[in-house]
Amino acid sequence: MDRQLLISGIIFGLSMGSIYFLLAIGLSLCFGLMRIISLDQLLYYSVGAYLTYTVQVATGNIWMAVLVGALVAGAVSLVVERFVFFRIYARDITFTMITSFGVLIGGVGTIKYIWGLIPRPAEVPVQAQVSILGTPVPVYRLIVVALAVLVYLGITLFLNRTITGKAIRAGIEDVDHVEGLGINVYRLFTITFVVAGVFSGLAGGLHAPLIMVDPQMGLNVLAFVFMVVIIGGLGSIKGTLVSAFLVGQVTSLGSLIYAPLAQMAPFAIMLGILLIRPTGLYGSKLLKR
Amino acid sequence: MLKSALRWWSGILIAFLVVAGLRLLMPLPFANEILIFSIYVMGHNFLLGRVGFISFGQPAYLGVGAYAAAFYLFYFGHNPYVGILLGLLAGLLVTLLIGPLFVRLRSDYFALVNLALAVIMYYLMEKVLAGITHGDNGLWFLARMTSTPVLDLTKPSQFFVFTLLLAVLLWGFYKYLDETVYGACCLATKVNEDKVQFLGYSNFRIRWLAFVIANTTTALAGSLYAVYFGFVSPEITSFHRAADPVVVTILGGVGTLYGPLVGAIAYTGMKDVLSRVIVNWEFFVGFLLVLIMLAGEKGIWGTLEPLLRRPLPLRRLLPAAGDRR
Repeated sequence: MDRQLLISGIIFGLSMGSIYFLLAIGLSLCFGLMRIISLDQLLYYSVGAYLTYTVQVATGNIWMAVLVGALVAGAVSLVVERFVFFRIYARDITFTMITSFGVLIGGVGTIKYIWGLIPRPAEVPVQAQVSILGTPVPVYRLIVVALAVLVYLGITLFLNRTITGKAIRAGIEDVDHVEGLGINVYRLFTITFVVAGVFSGLAGGLHAPLIMVDPQMGLNVLAFVFMVVIIGGLGSIKGTLVSAFLVGQVTSLGSLIYAPLAQMAPFAIMLGILLIRPTGLYGSKLLKR
Repeated sequence: MLKSALRWWSGILIAFLVVAGLRLLMPLPFANEILIFSIYVMGHNFLLGRVGFISFGQPAYLGVGAYAAAFYLFYFGHNPYVGILLGLLAGLLVTLLIGPLFVRLRSDYFALVNLALAVIMYYLMEKVLAGITHGDNGLWFLARMTSTPVLDLTKPSQFFVFTLLLAVLLWGFYKYLDETVYGACCLATKVNEDKVQFLGYSNFRIRWLAFVIANTTTALAGSLYAVYFGFVSPEITSFHRAADPVVVTILGGVGTLYGPLVGAIAYTGMKDVLSRVIVNWEFFVGFLLVLIMLAGEKGIWGTLEPLLRRPLPLRRLLPAAGDRR
């Protein structure tokens, strides 16, 4: 294969993987701690992307736009958590999945109402390109990858070094014991949910310049994000990172070999991995219930 | 003997007489769509209500049935009945083969693996097999289907009668299933799989059979769609509509016998009416879904049924309310 094509393919895969990682980490944390499957993270992703677009058009500053998008997405997730999820944490896992799907569909309808059906283009903030081994590579994609790695390091530090983070990790192991220690687990739930929402919004904001922003964008990446979470193992941060980059590369390099493969290959890999390890790459047996 | 048989069937007959009555009030396409859609949802209703498996990939099985019928009618034969039968058989074969792989998974993984299957089916039909399926253009075979003597499936009005009879039989089958030991086993494996194992039943086999029954029903609905429209495109396996059966199952009432029918009527009607008035009906569907879930996930029929039971002497006629875990 052509080397230039290969390198740009790998960079493309890495940046896609970064977006998937940012989205999947929220799902993974929500499942690990609260045992909910939060499909509505895809809504916060769309909200982040749309606000990035709107603020960018209004002010012209994309970095501020991404920041605003992430924060507003976090705010929306806080509202949803207060009014919907707060009431149903104790319910069955499929129950939360269906409810969150309702939130997602309703949110998509609201987005269509506010912004209309037409796809909107967001501007790429950094036009520059650098040369890697003689291949021109857009700097923006490298920035996206760097940000995803920073988020990974940040969340690992947060979970390992702060009291709140340690409580969240303990909660992933056994939430009843954490409650027994006198820690308010519902506050932990809210914090985790909002953090997840902010990351999803960030993913949307960063993804907006790479694709067209349209109301269905959440549903379009839904299958891929879920695949990432499942291959990595629900509730594992490290597994999510590994599988996000795996899926990104398979999508990107697969499309270089044979175009229809881009959409199908990751799913075939997921089927294969699940049939060998039904809990995903890093999913622990402990979580089985 | 005859009396008890009549009593057993009466609930189903009443329900479908109501649908046949709808036929007089509603346009024919609407009635047909409701019937096929409720058969489609019935499969998922059984899966979710009896075995506790939720699936976001029902379009995949719908596609299996639809394409089996379409291939036959487009390339080989002309008889729509054979097409429907082939759709059923294809569904049976596919679910028998992939069942053992899928039912080993936990419910939440199961939902998403099915979604993955739907995505694979979609791209398989749209791109990889484009030579046979004609990609997005789809297969048109409405003119190729020949008239059949007793019930002419090429005429929508007679197609309605056929589908109505088929639905009555299917509902009878599912009602019968609830009364067998196997039906009890299904419920048991949903509630407590360890105890089922202690009793000497195989969870795996119970689930496999349930998977085969449910998704063969879905494939049958797919072949009905194919014959009804005389046209199949990859759109039928599209994962964008993967949530429809889940939403309708919940809307009607999970695990209730008439839930799928009530849900299908409500959902199709809502979409029809709302989409005429406002563009973004998704908002209302999503909002309604959340409301139903917060109100206690009983759905429309689950709420209505106890009310209907009290004043009428239908006590023995209506089936037991859907279980709530």
